[in-house]
Amino acid sequence: MNNSDLLTAYNYDEFTQAKVLPWLNFDNSPPLGEPAPDFPLWQLDGVATTLGEIWRQNQLTVVEFGSFT
Amino acid sequence: MNALAEQFTLHGVGSIFLYTNEAHPGENFPHLTSMTQKFEHARALRDVLGVNRPILVDALDGACHRAYGSMPNMTWIFNRAGSPVYKSDWTDHNSVRNALAYFIDVMQRRRGRERLVPFRVERLDYRTSDPDGFQAGLARSGPKAVREFKESGL
Repeated sequence: MNNSDLLTAYNYDEFTQAKVLPWLNFDNSPPLGEPAPDFPLWQLDGVATTLGEIWRQNQLTVVEFGSFT
Repeated sequence: MNALAEQFTLHGVGSIFLYTNEAHPGENFPHLTSMTQKFEHARALRDVLGVNRPILVDALDGACHRAYGSMPNMTWIFNRAGSPVYKSDWTDHNSVRNALAYFIDVMQRRRGRERLVPFRVERLDYRTSDPDGFQAGLARSGPKAVREFKESGL
């Protein structure tokens, strides 16, 4: 899947089983107790940071994933 | 989850909301096609829904979200070393509160020189079902989101 196709598929335009279910992959997500993958993220003002910079700020960090919808 | 974040901040717990893709795109909040739009939707989460934790925005291709399983409203807890110590395929404040209380107790036991070693546990947690609240969320996105969920069979 090229980048354009990935952007379109991940940001699906309608809620159907065919478009939604292939993305749900929690069973293969990173395991507990092992170093997790880091990724770039952005603050609401556009300043770049990383997930790693976030989790290094506190003893524990709660990360809720979601969207407006 | 906002109240939980405030409750535990004094215990060294940080909390963020990580903005992903639109789970139920509708007329008011359509599917994402640009980072500019993604920032706009993320600001609406703060301004309309009142999320007062720091909101971070994932890349448009959902690189972070996809790597962690792409569930629409999951919660993870990381330690300072970057290892997840809790992951839940759905967000429930009672489950998160329970986990945080346990991990804070672990930190206190460590400070008391108790020798602790990790082990893995699986547990089925339970959340309150709120179909009216869920439908209200779909309606905020627009009639398209309401219709598509009804037709999806999910």
